[in-house]
Amino acid sequence: MKILIPLDGSSNAERAVSYVVSQLGRWKEMPTVLLLNVQWKVATGNVKLFINQDTINAYYREQGMSAMQSACSILDAAHISYQYHISVGKPAEAIAQYAQEEGVDEIVMCRQGQGGVQQVLLGSVVNKVLHLAACPVLLVK
Amino acid sequence: MLEMFMTAPFWVDVLKIIMIDVLLSGDNAVVIALACRNLPAEQRKQGILFGMAGAVVLRIVLTFFAVSLLSLPYLKLVGAFLLIWIGIKLILPEDEHDEGSIKADTRLFGAIKTIIIADFVMSLDNVLGVAAAAKGNVSLLVFGLLISIPLIAWSSQLVLKLIDRFPYIIYAGGALLGYVAGEMLVSEALFAPLVEAHPALHWLIPGVCAVLVLTVGKWLAMRKTTTERAINLLDGKVTVVADKSSDVISK
Repeated sequence: MKILIPLDGSSNAERAVSYVVSQLGRWKEMPTVLLLNVQWKVATGNVKLFINQDTINAYYREQGMSAMQSACSILDAAHISYQYHISVGKPAEAIAQYAQEEGVDEIVMCRQGQGGVQQVLLGSVVNKVLHLAACPVLLVK
Repeated sequence: MLEMFMTAPFWVDVLKIIMIDVLLSGDNAVVIALACRNLPAEQRKQGILFGMAGAVVLRIVLTFFAVSLLSLPYLKLVGAFLLIWIGIKLILPEDEHDEGSIKADTRLFGAIKTIIIADFVMSLDNVLGVAAAAKGNVSLLVFGLLISIPLIAWSSQLVLKLIDRFPYIIYAGGALLGYVAGEMLVSEALFAPLVEAHPALHWLIPGVCAVLVLTVGKWLAMRKTTTERAINLLDGKVTVVADKSSDVISK
């Protein structure tokens, strides 16, 4: 059993982690918990002319790790093994892709919690993941 | 003065400028943040501050340069073709090319130099687009500048998210740049007699330019279309072995 929890660094995403931790007793075997943070590919063509790839990658890594920090500490505190991963790309697509690559059995996620204008203009990652994912998606309210 | 704000064409121009500003602003904030990363922590804030200030001043100077340059004969022609190219580039998917040789600068002066040079290069498309859309109207120009300044400082994730949500926004942006380029062509003094003789050219040429950008952009994009995969950057594992956690990090 592999459970993927995508994290965006918000407190909502932490709730998904806490939920998974609270539900772990449901499985006979300890499930594998995978954490994923997706960084927007902010450094495109022009930026690469001035900044080297190492610096860009270090930036993604730093941002990604800090987004997963609180989730990691929740899992550490609960003494649960986990894997973490940082992808660079579009969030929903990258989540679906990673889930496929890893053969994930279930994706557990929360809404980002943005409402109103933001929701309309920027859309929801959850909605897109529901469309793209090949495995069950559990939406934690 | 006030009547000017009440007319529909004015607001159309305002919308054009906002759109151009948003779509062509992207990269500056990223470069500023990244160029300062390798600085010692206490210089980082300084670097970001100087970088932003430099970018804003540069943007203002460039805009006024662009406007005065565009009043010269023939240069509108050049500007229009540049804009058409910028529009096509906007539609094209990103080329993956690795510039591996750039050294990361660890000194404040070096970082600021990088930021300013990068700003110069990356502001050009925005400045040209706004100058063309403003058509010499100073209040529109200043408005365009004011809109672009917070975008310099702001995270460019906004633009990425917008494009992710509404992928067609880049086609609209490309067409808009083509249209604006066409308007610039029409106002080129060289063609003044021709345009006067055929008033229909006032909307025909911009329309043709917009369609041109769309078709060329779409055609080139189709030729090299590959669905972009997400890049796997980092893989790590924390294994709990009898209360002792060990970190295994693999790239």
